[in-house]
Amino acid sequence: MVKAEIINGPIDFFPSVDNRQQDGAELVFNGRVRATEHGKNITALEYEQYEGMAEAELTQLAEQVMKKFPIHDLFCRHRIGQVDVGETSLHVSIWSKHRKEAIEAMDCFIFELKKRVPIWKWAILSDGTKVPSECEH
Amino acid sequence: MIKIKVKCFSQVKYALGENEINLDLENGPTTLDVERIIREKSNGKLDGVSLRIAVNQQYQAEETELQDGDEVAFIPPVQGG
Repeated sequence: MVKAEIINGPIDFFPSVDNRQQDGAELVFNGRVRATEHGKNITALEYEQYEGMAEAELTQLAEQVMKKFPIHDLFCRHRIGQVDVGETSLHVSIWSKHRKEAIEAMDCFIFELKKRVPIWKWAILSDGTKVPSECEH
Repeated sequence: MIKIKVKCFSQVKYALGENEINLDLENGPTTLDVERIIREKSNGKLDGVSLRIAVNQQYQAEETELQDGDEVAFIPPVQGG
């Protein structure tokens, strides 16, 4: 099963539950905002999306990763709007029988997300200036 | 004459100072024609910036002829995560 959501506000993490009897691996990734961008101090990142297309691409990508790897579930929430330093901007949980396929699926999902989901970062500098982020990682 | 809406994001928005641009175009315009217009409007600020093209929220692999009412976006390198 796939869940892929764009959230405007703090992310509620997907619950880690004890009743998944066929899943030997539960892999969680949280992407967080760092305090510096290209050596400059920032207070936050502002995430901009192409509304509609971003969530559609995220869902399509999650479905493709589900088909490519033998995993059971892939849930993802990506935040937009202002995300302060230290806060989570991306939360992904994958459940699978073994760890290997979950790790490979996670790597593939995030790699592709950064190539094709139309979301961008604006860096908010210490003096309040907002500029497009130069970060391409 | 057809009407095209161009959505601007990230570096394109920064270069043009607009969220959205409406264009009235003649003679069967294509995505490349509109890209030329957008790059000219940027006065060189988009030089060296690679742009992928989406029409009605679908990526286009090739030059596409535009229809009245189409929404076009020139998508600079994305940065999710």
